[in-house]
Amino acid sequence: MEITGADFVRGLALLGAGLAMGLGAIGPGVGEGYAAGKACEAIGRKPEEAGLLTRTMLVGQAVSESTGIYSLVVALLLMFVVK
Amino acid sequence: MAWEQIEWVKAASGLGAGLSVGFAAIGAAIGEGYAAGKANQTLSYRPGVSGEILKTMLVGQAVAETAGIFGLVIAMLMLFSPAAGKPVLTGWAYLGAGLSMGLSAIGCGIGAGLPAGSACTGIGRQPRASGQLTTLMLIGAGVAQSTAIYGFLIALLLLFKSLPEAMNWVAACTLLGAGFAMGFGGIGPGIGEGIAAQNAVTSIARNPENTGLMTRTMLVGQAVAESTGIYSLVIALLLVLST
Repeated sequence: MEITGADFVRGLALLGAGLAMGLGAIGPGVGEGYAAGKACEAIGRKPEEAGLLTRTMLVGQAVSESTGIYSLVVALLLMFVVK
Repeated sequence: MAWEQIEWVKAASGLGAGLSVGFAAIGAAIGEGYAAGKANQTLSYRPGVSGEILKTMLVGQAVAETAGIFGLVIAMLMLFSPAAGKPVLTGWAYLGAGLSMGLSAIGCGIGAGLPAGSACTGIGRQPRASGQLTTLMLIGAGVAQSTAIYGFLIALLLLFKSLPEAMNWVAACTLLGAGFAMGFGGIGPGIGEGIAAQNAVTSIARNPENTGLMTRTMLVGQAVAESTGIYSLVIALLLVLST
């Protein structure tokens, strides 16, 4: 198997894209789920504050989502920009 | 390293099958063990509702087991497909399929076990709400399974893709990268959605009249937690379909 330098770089960039998106998705998934879980617990205690709690949950999840979006951007850069 | 094509494909199918069923077993077993532990803990102070708790525990464990069964199916497909005449890249596709299925099943097994455990505790607290608790547990655990289903989908795409005959380093890395993207990407959403479902089930055990509100809140939260799983699916699909 002949691997040219450019092929080697391109191949590892694609592997890196997979690792970036894969590992990057773990944290936001767990964190957003934790936020959702605690919001459910809080609404269970105080159902009349459901609107406030849902809003707060979504704001917190949006912040926690940001690293997932960084991973997505980096993965797309590695796939389509690194040649 | 002078391997014959067929030996490499066989070796990769063995390794891929091991990755698939081995990692998948981690999650399913942890999730089921958590459900069983919570069921036993509840029975220690509520022996009267043992039938109901046992039934809920088994239903919840069956949902958690599905991720493990997906891993087993992918492993069997790899082990029992003939290796003769397959291109060398098939081996790399097998490794990617094993990673995609195995790793994504870790999160979903754990995630499906968490609501099962809290449903058992909840039935001990409110035996009359057991129907609502079981329904919400099944909805929550079903949503938590979704990333394992994405992993299964990517694994099947990798297994049955027609690949070019010649070895190609870029294509090999692409196939492996798709497996990593979907596999690791499935862990987090699975666990996170499980935590959301766990707390939602605990809450309706405390306050069964809130079932509608709680189901809605849980689904909104899980939908947001799912987003990174969907990004991973998109990246994995782009990688698989580009070879």
